[in-house]
Amino acid sequence: MATPIFVTAASIAAELHQAMLEAKGLALTAKNARALAVRAGSKTVGFKAITHFIDELATDIIRQSQYINGVSEHLSHNAVALWRATTAAEKFDWIATQHSDNIASLHSAIHTCYQQREALSHTLGRGLQELEQQLEEGDKHIRTANLIATSSKVEAASAGDFRNQLEVIAQNITDTADKIRAHLSQARRLLGQRQKHKP
Amino acid sequence: MLATTLYENGDHRWIMFGRDPNKAEGIIDTNQYMIQSGDQAILLDPGGIELFAPMLSAVLKFVPAQQITHLFASHQDPDIISSLGLWDQALPNAKLYSPWLWESFIRHFGMEKIEFCAIPDEGMTINIGRIQLQFIPAHYLHSSGNFHVYDPQAKILMSGDVGAALESTDAPLWVDTMNIHIPKMRKFHQRWMPSNDAKLDWIRRVRQLDIQIMAPQHGRLFRPPQVQEFFNWFEDLPVGIAIKR
Repeated sequence: MATPIFVTAASIAAELHQAMLEAKGLALTAKNARALAVRAGSKTVGFKAITHFIDELATDIIRQSQYINGVSEHLSHNAVALWRATTAAEKFDWIATQHSDNIASLHSAIHTCYQQREALSHTLGRGLQELEQQLEEGDKHIRTANLIATSSKVEAASAGDFRNQLEVIAQNITDTADKIRAHLSQARRLLGQRQKHKP
Repeated sequence: MLATTLYENGDHRWIMFGRDPNKAEGIIDTNQYMIQSGDQAILLDPGGIELFAPMLSAVLKFVPAQQITHLFASHQDPDIISSLGLWDQALPNAKLYSPWLWESFIRHFGMEKIEFCAIPDEGMTINIGRIQLQFIPAHYLHSSGNFHVYDPQAKILMSGDVGAALESTDAPLWVDTMNIHIPKMRKFHQRWMPSNDAKLDWIRRVRQLDIQIMAPQHGRLFRPPQVQEFFNWFEDLPVGIAIKR
């Protein structure tokens, strides 16, 4: 049985929340790296320049994660409303087969319910599309993070006495990028499953 | 779902709905009531979400949806009103009368269109068509905010969980011999009802009413001789037994 979309959307929101926490860690890493680069002086000029990109990247990921989180939560809320309208519509369909004397008196409520279901279904479809696009944007950030991590390792190698400390920071960036990628992948997998089950 | 007319005088009717043979296993059987007068009707304790479709279908055999203008929930339990989110879709212009205490809880069942009308602790009266109904306080029987409904014209008291018995869906509609019926009620009243003071306050209150039918939310209904026997039995029954002194 397919997972209800409001569960999927809530799970995606949870994944993006985790990605955002990782990105906040990345922002802290950027600050530490900058402090270290300042102390290290001329040998770490290249690394110091990179810290600005790390900081910017972390800010972007946080902002985007928060946005996707909001979209997912709204989608989940929307999906619950759709589920309720669909449930009511199904009950009404059954009642219509019971030949109740006054079934015509329900027509207006049934019509409103069907309209609401259609509108919610349309909104949900658009929301899912937006979520897909936003997660693709997230992948671009991960590619940037990988580039920054590689450059950091290169710069760390020429940092003399500070090499070990900067290598730790470079590794930290790689690890964090991996974790964010894992959360985004899981979010896309959840969304993909949902798309597969769409009628 | 079985529908039984309990009272009919012109356009003033009491219909009881229940004993649903298609009810899902493991769900307590419930009695739902509809009072109709003129072009208005009120559903009393319209039931749980599982019962919504058969209940609405049964109700529409008597009145069109537009005439179901009022709902009443004696308290907040799921078997009373968890169908609210669906009634909200079916009866967008209806009003729900329920204890003020439970408004913010009952809204969890979903209520965007129906208007919530809070019943104050001391109770109140409302007009349905050409009749007046009284909401009689029954706090702590068993819920801490709880009302019963009395119709002085039909002389029927809808007594919520008071007088309830847990029985199968093929049980007879009316209490016949109290000695046989009492064992089916005892544990329910002793365990679900928390307060002896509340019980005595309710008995004092309802003994002043002229009751031809006492109609609980579960089990069989009571005619006058059994109503009096029930009051006497309930008066002597210790309740709140889960607390050992």
